[in-house]
Amino acid sequence: MVNMAVFIDLNISYTADTKKLQNIIETAAHLGYSTVAINHVVDLQQKKQEIGKPKCVSELFDRLPIVQGKSRPIKVLNRLTVVVSEASHFRTTNEVKSYDIVAVFPKTEKLFHAACMSFDVDIICIAVTEKQPFYFKRPPVNGAIDRGVFFEISYVAAIKDSTLRRYTISNALSLMETCKGKNVIVSSGAEKPLELRGPYDITNLGLLFGLSEGDAKAAVSTNCRAVLLHGETRKTALGIIHTVKTQPTAERQEEEEEAVPAVKRAKRETL
Amino acid sequence: MSQPALYERLVFKNASVYHYLKIYLILDNDDRKINAVYFKQMIISALRDLYGEIGAAFPFDVLKFEEDTLTAVLRVYNSGLVKLWTALTLLGSYQSEPCAVHVTQVSPFLLALSGNSRELELD
Repeated sequence: MVNMAVFIDLNISYTADTKKLQNIIETAAHLGYSTVAINHVVDLQQKKQEIGKPKCVSELFDRLPIVQGKSRPIKVLNRLTVVVSEASHFRTTNEVKSYDIVAVFPKTEKLFHAACMSFDVDIICIAVTEKQPFYFKRPPVNGAIDRGVFFEISYVAAIKDSTLRRYTISNALSLMETCKGKNVIVSSGAEKPLELRGPYDITNLGLLFGLSEGDAKAAVSTNCRAVLLHGETRKTALGIIHTVKTQPTAERQEEEEEAVPAVKRAKRETL
Repeated sequence: MSQPALYERLVFKNASVYHYLKIYLILDNDDRKINAVYFKQMIISALRDLYGEIGAAFPFDVLKFEEDTLTAVLRVYNSGLVKLWTALTLLGSYQSEPCAVHVTQVSPFLLALSGNSRELELD
């Protein structure tokens, strides 16, 4: 089935420890995630931090682990998160373009506004380890929704500590007040296999964050897919089209591998 | 309506007042032994962490707990399902040791927990 929701976790924290990273990705595959993204965080305020090229995924595994119940291997992507506290921090360089997904974590209201309205990013991270220092205003949030940029809430802090859990939930609720559950993704941010939760657990957790049932499921599936497609548009001039071969038999094929007729949809019109 | 309907439509709605959850506990430290009493205590404290005293007081049952595999079947009223499930999801440590609860199946019928279609080998 072409449009069947597959579960995606767009935030697996990068560690230099390959064994650990493998372990997390194996757990994610076992839990039923079809795609994961390894998150490289760069905080440009700290000295000597620079955006490097992402590690090649094929170095990590000889054979990628099989997704539970799908009998095909998990897809691993690279994601960059830039923590911006000054507007000059974020520039679209060639290094940035080599990542599949680009996220930004704005520290001030002004930067949040800029991120929503003009930055060429796919994801805007919402603070989960501190009280949100500013209110989410309607115009920038609507602007982000129109541009197809998504807001990300990561749940790992909520698992680790009860104070952080309060911050996570309260920031999530205040975001939902403004965006009404639209364009939200929920991701893990896991540093250990034990911090990952199954996709249905997260769907249920979304209810706690003020999402409706449908939006909560979209937050781990279709919205994440939209992020991936949005990320792909950055590498092209205008947009992307997925084509899928329609087959007369019951035999259904995986969408991406096919490059034959039947235009599906041009996802969005950014740039 | 010119012709009387030849069939009768029956909607079987909200058949059960309970939901059943099949869960398993993963502990970082494998040698640690946990019995059913501790296990329930752990869930209650997770509920208290998230929902306070009222959350800790709400009714659910541990129908079965297997100590060797750390698998359990819980029963909860429909109204409490979301609360219990979120508390289980956000449980991250027990007595300052990391742990995780994975919910494998949720169903309003206990019989449904006897098999799991996701563990079938597909080819």
